[in-house]
Amino acid sequence: MVALVAFISIFTLAGCNSSRPDSADVGRSVASEVKKDELVLAFGSEPETGFDPTTGWGRYGSPLFQSTLLKRDDKLNIRNDLATNYEVSPDGNVWTVKVRDDVKFSDGQPLTAADVVFTFETAAGNGSVVDLNRVRKVEALDDYTVRFTLQEPQSTFVNTLIGTGIIPKHAYGKDYAEHPIGSGPYQLVQWDKGQQLIVQANPQYYDRQPYFKKITFLFLSEDASFAAAQAGIVDLAYIPAAFSHQKVTGMRIESLKTVDNRGIVFPYVKSGGVTKDGLPIGNDVTADPAIRHAINIAVDRHALVDGVLEGHGTPAYTSVDGLPWWNPETVIEDGNLEGAKRLLDEAGWIDTDGDGVREKGALKAEFTLYYLASDSIRQSLAISVADMMKPLGLNVKLAGGSWDIISKSMYSNPVIMGWGSHDPHEMYNLYSSETAGIDYYNTGYYSNKTVDGYLEQALHAKTEEEAIEFWKKAQWDETTGLSVKGDAAWAWLVNINHLYLVKDGLDIGDQRIHVHGHGWPATDNIVDWKWTK
Amino acid sequence: MISIPKKFPLNRKQWALMKVIISVVFIVIILLSGLFLDEGRIVTNLTDRNSPPSVDHLFGTDWLGRDMFTRTVMGLALSIGVGLIGAIGSASIALFLGMMAATMGKRADRLISWLIDLFLSVPHLVTLILIAFMLGGGFKGIVVGLTLTHWPSLARVIRAEVMQIRSAEFVQVSRRMGKSGWWIAVHHIVPHIIPQFLIGFMLLFPHVILHEAAVTFIGLGLSPHEPAIGIILSESMKYLSAGMWWLAFFPGLCLLFIVRMFDQIGENLRWLTDSNRNRD
Repeated sequence: MVALVAFISIFTLAGCNSSRPDSADVGRSVASEVKKDELVLAFGSEPETGFDPTTGWGRYGSPLFQSTLLKRDDKLNIRNDLATNYEVSPDGNVWTVKVRDDVKFSDGQPLTAADVVFTFETAAGNGSVVDLNRVRKVEALDDYTVRFTLQEPQSTFVNTLIGTGIIPKHAYGKDYAEHPIGSGPYQLVQWDKGQQLIVQANPQYYDRQPYFKKITFLFLSEDASFAAAQAGIVDLAYIPAAFSHQKVTGMRIESLKTVDNRGIVFPYVKSGGVTKDGLPIGNDVTADPAIRHAINIAVDRHALVDGVLEGHGTPAYTSVDGLPWWNPETVIEDGNLEGAKRLLDEAGWIDTDGDGVREKGALKAEFTLYYLASDSIRQSLAISVADMMKPLGLNVKLAGGSWDIISKSMYSNPVIMGWGSHDPHEMYNLYSSETAGIDYYNTGYYSNKTVDGYLEQALHAKTEEEAIEFWKKAQWDETTGLSVKGDAAWAWLVNINHLYLVKDGLDIGDQRIHVHGHGWPATDNIVDWKWTK
Repeated sequence: MISIPKKFPLNRKQWALMKVIISVVFIVIILLSGLFLDEGRIVTNLTDRNSPPSVDHLFGTDWLGRDMFTRTVMGLALSIGVGLIGAIGSASIALFLGMMAATMGKRADRLISWLIDLFLSVPHLVTLILIAFMLGGGFKGIVVGLTLTHWPSLARVIRAEVMQIRSAEFVQVSRRMGKSGWWIAVHHIVPHIIPQFLIGFMLLFPHVILHEAAVTFIGLGLSPHEPAIGIILSESMKYLSAGMWWLAFFPGLCLLFIVRMFDQIGENLRWLTDSNRNRD
């Protein structure tokens, strides 16, 4: 009896685990009145902090309610949105942006330069993910001209203009995040936290009106999302790779390319140091370049894509695969166990005591690889990589934990991390010695003077085009670089395709390469979505 | 108890003993195979993933191509190990507190009874989750949590038993004859409560294993790559909607089976040692 009760309690707990069991019912009632110009989408992640661009909303995917000064098109080229043009001064320090004079917020008030200034000042004051450290001042020259003065030239500043939605000065208050007003293609109808978000087209929108007049976003767990798709109550649902083999009638699977990458960041320096907070830095084993190269060469990325991601992914060689600033020369041949063994032999890592693990002097070729325990893909990658390293004589122990636990060990142990952004600044953050040990950036304390030089040059270039050459050189300049061919500070493993079940006949446009995060990036071009039949 | 047909060659007592022996042998086999099974069988094999049960893989393979039979057996062995530590710890606390309550006077008794009531007033699983969470999860968290939460009912039984023995005539006589409290505790009380203690311990065991599985299931226990039964079960939930029933079915069944085994041992031992029923 005791056994039975406890056994049942396990399954009851399983029920609690999927935290949004009721949302499917909400969806059903919504779906029953779906008309041709309405959409129901099932997404996993809800922007819990709300819809305030100055605290980070809209950096991934469309900001929906707001619009931005500049935007990227489906080929990632930079286009004007609210801006009519922008100029960068010859020294790169002053950006002057002209704003359209015919734009109105959804409450009918005109959008002027004062709102733009207000947006950036608020964002700077919030000290949030919007990086405005290098901006000295923002000022309105007249009603429709804004001047940004930077402390030093910064080619990636353009991404701040692309990513930050403009908020109305007259209608911004404490509860703005829950009641956003903006100049974007949609306006908020209703947001039930933890359940759904309903938006409708903004009649004041200055650009082409979106095809879909009303969109409902349901926030569902993976299982519920899939079930909702099977029940036919959603038009688009995000699903994990594990469900990709199952057919759903009336829907097709879209497997979208991404830079949503996963890789292993290695401590680059020898152990001994400590951070400001007293956390240990460095790892004697992974500080040896031979170990890092051997892992990079030995790992079979295609097997990981096929095995862990069910084929829905691509091998990753850098953090920026496929983006305009990616250097394609960084691709290496992997799955090469013999080459990796030779490399380790030459570096003096030899198994002398016959226990299957190599040694170099007193140092054993082993380390602990940390991964986020709640993420099954990271877990699978960690287990697979550890098993791939065994025949090599590298003993990879595993430790799963929450970010709290990982962040205490991540400067002295390799960790599976994931990044991926349309902003090349991310590469700077991951590899510059300036950002070593700051939050989750460059946790390995990687530093290479030449690479640092290229990264600074790229950052201080006047335009993105000029910067691209330096971004590429930082990865590999024929002699050194941050990529596998050079210092191999990371072992990038895979880019995870984002999978969506899409109703037949729904055209979701040309999806650009998706960034980190499953769900919102798909909305980037939501204005172009339409029915084809 | 279960009625056994007359023609069956064993009497009730022998039958109970048989059940205990079979269960013990079975559990020992699981434990040993958990220790000696080839680790190589749970190495990921990305070419042989998600295969249903077959002769090669009795319980099928999971999404990384690991043999589920090996994982299940190793998981059970690990769970039994954790259960053993937890049950020993809990039973020791129960013995200690039970003895103290019964022998150290009114005030100690009141304090310990209050403590027992306090712990019994909250479901163990809740306390267990709290403690495991406070200690940051992991092996340590779960073992400490199990040890600290499973003692109250056994402690109460032991307390009652000790009180009963203390008032027995032979103990009174012993005391009048000038034996020390310690001598009485060791020579009169402990031998009498050993059966209760052992049975209590055996009955704690399945409880502890299930709670270990439950806590691990919700992600507060061991690291997810370790082959613990709770982890196997919770992972399998994700694949149920993909139709991979064998990931949950066999490990779940095995857990149920093992827990029944321990239950059997405990129940039958109680029956065997119970002086009131021990006469046929």
